[in-house]
Amino acid sequence: MRIFWRRLIGLLRGNRLERELNEEIGIHLAMQEAEFRQRGMEPAAARAAALREFGGVAQAKEDYRDRRGVPWLESAARDLRYGLRGLRRTPGFTVAAVLSLALGIGANTAIFSLFHTLMLRLLPVEKPHELVSLYPTGGRFDGYVSYPLFQEIAKRGDLFTGVIARTPVSKTRFATRPGARGQFCQREFVSGNYFTVLGVAPALGRLFTEDDNRTPGGHPIAVLSYDLWHNRYGADPAILGAKILVDEQPFTVIGVAGAGFHGVQVERRAEVWVPAMMAGMKFTDPRTHWLWVVARRRPEVSPRQIQAALDVLMAQHLKAVYPSTYNAAIRQKALGQRLEVREGSVGLSVLREEFGRPLTVMMVAVGLVLLAACANVANLLLARGAARQKEVALRLSLGATRARLVRQALTESILLVVAGGALGVWLAAWGQRAVIQFLPESSGNPFGAALDTTVLLFTLAITALSAILFGVGPALRSTAVDPAAGLRAGSVGQGGSPLLRRVLVVAQVAFSVVLVGLAALFGHNLFALRSVDLGFRNQNVVAFTVDFPRGMRSEIRTPSRQLAEQLQTLPGVFSVSYGFPGPFLMGFAGASIRVPGSERTAHEPGYVDEAHIAPRYFETIGTPLVLGRELERNDMTGPRQVAVVNEAFVREFLPGEKHPDSRTFSFDDSKPEGGEPTFIVGVVRDVRHAGIQKPVKPTVYVAIDQGQNSGLPTMLVRTQAPPNALLAPIYRELRRLGPSVAIGDIRTLRQQVDDSIYEQRLLAALGAFFGTLALVLAAVGLYGVVAYGTARRTGEIGLRIALGAPRAQVVWMIMRDSLILVALGLALGLPAALAGARAVESVLFGIQPADPFTFAATAALLAAIGAAAAFLPARRASRLDPSQVLRNE
Amino acid sequence: MSTRDPGILQGTLDLMVLRTLETMGPQHGFGLAKRIQQISGCALDLNQGTLYPALLRLEQRGWIESRWGTSDANRKAKFYQLTRAGRKQIARESQDWERTVALMERFLRPAE
Repeated sequence: MRIFWRRLIGLLRGNRLERELNEEIGIHLAMQEAEFRQRGMEPAAARAAALREFGGVAQAKEDYRDRRGVPWLESAARDLRYGLRGLRRTPGFTVAAVLSLALGIGANTAIFSLFHTLMLRLLPVEKPHELVSLYPTGGRFDGYVSYPLFQEIAKRGDLFTGVIARTPVSKTRFATRPGARGQFCQREFVSGNYFTVLGVAPALGRLFTEDDNRTPGGHPIAVLSYDLWHNRYGADPAILGAKILVDEQPFTVIGVAGAGFHGVQVERRAEVWVPAMMAGMKFTDPRTHWLWVVARRRPEVSPRQIQAALDVLMAQHLKAVYPSTYNAAIRQKALGQRLEVREGSVGLSVLREEFGRPLTVMMVAVGLVLLAACANVANLLLARGAARQKEVALRLSLGATRARLVRQALTESILLVVAGGALGVWLAAWGQRAVIQFLPESSGNPFGAALDTTVLLFTLAITALSAILFGVGPALRSTAVDPAAGLRAGSVGQGGSPLLRRVLVVAQVAFSVVLVGLAALFGHNLFALRSVDLGFRNQNVVAFTVDFPRGMRSEIRTPSRQLAEQLQTLPGVFSVSYGFPGPFLMGFAGASIRVPGSERTAHEPGYVDEAHIAPRYFETIGTPLVLGRELERNDMTGPRQVAVVNEAFVREFLPGEKHPDSRTFSFDDSKPEGGEPTFIVGVVRDVRHAGIQKPVKPTVYVAIDQGQNSGLPTMLVRTQAPPNALLAPIYRELRRLGPSVAIGDIRTLRQQVDDSIYEQRLLAALGAFFGTLALVLAAVGLYGVVAYGTARRTGEIGLRIALGAPRAQVVWMIMRDSLILVALGLALGLPAALAGARAVESVLFGIQPADPFTFAATAALLAAIGAAAAFLPARRASRLDPSQVLRNE
Repeated sequence: MSTRDPGILQGTLDLMVLRTLETMGPQHGFGLAKRIQQISGCALDLNQGTLYPALLRLEQRGWIESRWGTSDANRKAKFYQLTRAGRKQIARESQDWERTVALMERFLRPAE
């Protein structure tokens, strides 16, 4: 090792040592010469004798140099310089190769980092493999569990060593100390045993115990995350015992969790933990679903055994909660619920539930992109190798070893892949930002702050793999030249292995068939989703919830009305209304009703969705009235209870009724004819308020000021001006209402719709991007192979034309060549694309995986690309002047 | 690396150089070459040029060190000198040689 370093230093100080060596040898020769002259030799003879005595001066120097430096390093440096020079000489090739590699590597890094976070990364807790998530399915509240059910599960010491409950992490108002400027933090309500069961140690102070979560509202204490403590308090240990404000309530900080722990929800990092008892929920109500449950199973109990035990527990629990006297429709639905035991070691994720499968498909797809890129670069290298055949032949005959030439070719590949990889990592960071744009705010940032080590290792691995994939073959291929034959051959080398190049192109076409097929499927899917009639026109309606401070929450009707009136006066505003819940995916409320005279509710009550709305609601969101009128100001406080219903209501309860606006229904469901009537004054078009892909339920819209309602209203502002221009005035009006009135979640209805189909939009966008990329790569590959093949057949084509072959026939001959390659690629790619389509069935809406339109379009597109790639070479060939060609032969 | 002088066993030249430096003290390249030729008489046909790679090898291993100085004839020259590690190396290699020579003698002695 020491010798190695000295040699390395020798390499760096090469010039000085070279001078010294020359000097030393010069002195030696001079001394010898002087001695010979003393013995009486002539000067010239003495000099010659001295040289003879010394032996080969150049040889000694070369030996000396070999000793001095690090030979392989020196030759590597030479290869590097040679490679760089070569790449600089052909900028077109270099840019094409580096760009396709960078896109391939970048796409893989970006998608893999998402994949890694959501699917692979273990939680930084003790023995993560023992964790299971208990996930209710089949009800209206998938994933959520009530407090009483949690307590029942927690009693099962025979199955679990610990059971914890927590709420999803949510963004909450926060102040670092009372009186400080208001900020936001990510808060998670947790059961007292949360940290103990997960095995998380405190970095400072202490963490919660069971005693910290006993009395509702009685534990104003909080634990901070290590990151929050560092970023907002500068890791000040005086934080212990200090007061902070969370949702405007004072909490005392008792500790800081260990570094690296961010809770159990992967895409949302918790910053402040608060005991669940501070959540202000109905802790004894088994029908209030608000908790996610994670349990640590006993090592000796298998998940399958737990599932069996929980099936029994859940059935008993549901029977007790929904006795037979309960509304039959709700009861039936509720009894179908099941508590699923799911793997918990990688944490909980809302995003994973929705997105896991398509993400896996995307991962495979970007893998294909990388393979296509490698095939492309290999193809380019082969073509380059063919062009260099003469050079290679010359060097071989001058005595270069083949190993040396292969090493040189590989050096060039490594240069390409290193550049591609570096650019790829940069592209990946950029791609992650682009992906985040598609995710709704509620899904947080699944990527975290920095690139993970695992992700970087992955990138390194695929980079190395690419170099091997595209580098070795061409390197061996292009140096396998018989020197004599190579030198003799004409200026056009004899091939760069046409067969290998064809195979590569067919592979490229097959990869792009898969990618383009998936892209077309996602595109068609998005189109189908977009063409669903949502029941409202969503352009330019700004929607936001108003978060009133605690003091105002008991009476929000007056401030809501005031705010609506103020907003109405803003320039550019058409109409303002509000409602609870909002029109699209803002939650829902339900009611059990009787409709006098309806067959449907004669024997048992009917179940409807219920919304509370202000005047001009339907005008504002742009939902057409089918019959009657919408609610007016007088209806809000008038003595008569009135309602607007949707068409689904009429279909369900009053089928065939010509004048539903003369009928009534009743919220008193105790007897078939109902109690106090609510008068139907109008019928509106169905609004898909539960989401694009959900069927419309019978819905009643009642006056927001009538009856009790506790929800925070969603303000709706229909504007002529661009929605963004409205933000500043809206904030100004809010401040006039009160100093701490805040806005939660301000978006246009269009954004809300977009956010609700973000997966499909993301997939369509990614698909379009990667599909286009693969198409371009395939087109370049096809063009290269066809153009090259045509150039080689120039003589033959010239002869054919001279013998009277029609030009059209020549064109067809060459086009056919390309189309055969495309057909082979299609034959390989289509089955794979179909398999991929089946895997993403869960995100498809209204179209089948084997969507005929999609696959026909894919095949047509590829054929068109094949024809286009062959067109230029074909035209060139058909315009050949036979006399000239034959003269050149 | 240098296999161009098959007349001398690999490693033999190293020991000769070290031993010469031990007996004569600091010496420049020409002096060393002359001395080695003198001692070996006509038995060794040394190409003086091969000496320099050997000197470099020994220096890299830390057995000798070099500095520029002035010769008896008031000429600038690079002088080589034994290090402590070099002395130890001579002891080690001499032993090795003696063992090898003793071993070879047993084979070469006429059978009894």
